[in-house]
Amino acid sequence: MAIYNGIDAAHEHLMDVAKATILAAGKAPTLTHRFELMTEIVTDEDMDPIIDVLATLGENSAFQRHDAVALQSLKDQGKLPPVVLFGADLMKPALWDCGACGFKTCGEYLKFIKDNKGVGVGCYGPSCVWQSIDFGTVCDYACACTARHHVESRIMFSIGACAMMLGHLEGATWVLGLPIGPLGQNLWFGRTAWKDALTFDQRMMTQLAGGPTNQMAFSGGGNPIIKSKQKWWEDPTYMKVEQDENFVEAEANGLAKVYEKIMKYSGVLDDDE
Amino acid sequence: MARIHIDEFPPYSPPDQAKKENVLMVAKLMVNAALTAPLTGGVPGHEAEIAYGQKELEMIAREMERLAHKEVPKRLKKPFLYEAVMVRESDAIVFLGNKRAHETPMDVGCGLCGGEPDCSFVYDRLNHFNGLIDATDRSRETTVKGPLCQIRAHDLGYVIGSALWMAEEHFVDTKPCYSVGLAGRNIGICMNSELVVGIPIAVLSKNPYVDIPPNYHLTNMAKQIDAVRKITVITRQIPNHPYFTHDAEAKAKSGKKKKEE
Repeated sequence: MAIYNGIDAAHEHLMDVAKATILAAGKAPTLTHRFELMTEIVTDEDMDPIIDVLATLGENSAFQRHDAVALQSLKDQGKLPPVVLFGADLMKPALWDCGACGFKTCGEYLKFIKDNKGVGVGCYGPSCVWQSIDFGTVCDYACACTARHHVESRIMFSIGACAMMLGHLEGATWVLGLPIGPLGQNLWFGRTAWKDALTFDQRMMTQLAGGPTNQMAFSGGGNPIIKSKQKWWEDPTYMKVEQDENFVEAEANGLAKVYEKIMKYSGVLDDDE
Repeated sequence: MARIHIDEFPPYSPPDQAKKENVLMVAKLMVNAALTAPLTGGVPGHEAEIAYGQKELEMIAREMERLAHKEVPKRLKKPFLYEAVMVRESDAIVFLGNKRAHETPMDVGCGLCGGEPDCSFVYDRLNHFNGLIDATDRSRETTVKGPLCQIRAHDLGYVIGSALWMAEEHFVDTKPCYSVGLAGRNIGICMNSELVVGIPIAVLSKNPYVDIPPNYHLTNMAKQIDAVRKITVITRQIPNHPYFTHDAEAKAKSGKKKKEE
């Protein structure tokens, strides 16, 4: 007989839920009948390289920073949940000659991918559309399973992309990450750790960039004022489309830094190089 | 006091119709579940439609049979014909369509469609003006008009998954089908979508979507029942007898007795 700390015991139970989500994912019905799931559970310090690469990517992109900050904060609090990686080789065609990928037949598609495989921001391609759909159904079953266990989760592109670049689930063309937990309510939405990551002005500017017409003054003049401050009519600001060379350069430098880190973690580069 | 008699046979009889009404409730809940599925960036982009009723399902089954014979590659011919049988045995069909993959890509450069860190693969192959895709030309050279934004297409998977999960929670059998989705789309169901998947759903003591024997489109239960109707009518005309004045069985028994004596 023993008395357990409930929170610690529940945290340990997250690993069992992680296993249950994999079972659920395996039970998902698919359209192609050819879908082959790859999966792995990453825990504790094995998450460190993923968080590090994510944070490096985040230096130029709020999207990755958002996740890196959250994961780092959970790690600092000793609450880092197990992360299930789901992946698949989506290049294998369903062999239906449907045309959805942009080629008339699966034969033409296969001929194309022989010489044109490549990688984008987080996935390899080209892919079979129906495999991409099946991958979604499989991940959905995993998400639904965590919901049934009343466990927090959010399926994440960012974690999966970094994990894939770091060599997890070899052979997969796309990997998604599903943190199983932590304990609590809505922790992947309205994130506590994010509250100090952006200033109020940055938050307002992001909103404005996402929906400029919401803050647009009379637009009939041809050069509409964007109401970006309290007294918007004084020294007005205007909408303008321009190339941003500084940002392009910063992004390129950031990516170089990311690749350097990935090479370091894979042992290609020494730490001091 | 109301008495609702429920039975699965014969199809479309009042007891079966009562069961079908229950299934329709689940179909509606499946659509709700589908619409709450997790999506890339939480962006909405799906539509749903439910086909319910004997005529409605027959129209879909027939389009599937047309596709089987006229359009899809040979390896899909039999699966399409078999799934047409499953549609006829179903109580309803939930259609889920993706409105974005062909018209409003994610524009994130993920690499899924062409393996490049931009969206050029899709935009270079579609008719667009400054990134605004013109989807008004709906003619197709292939069964599905591609290329499509794959990360948007991936979203459809979650939508299907949540619908299937909801059906499972209610012990209703389902099977997500490429064939059913295509047929529905071709006859105007989920008409804002290029990618449509159909989920036939059924409540029967035997799951109608598994244990499929060869040439199922010719050997299924409806065909066998029809065969009984066809053959019994002929057979009964041979052993006919004037039953009101003549008991053939009694006559045979008494004849047998006499012989023994």
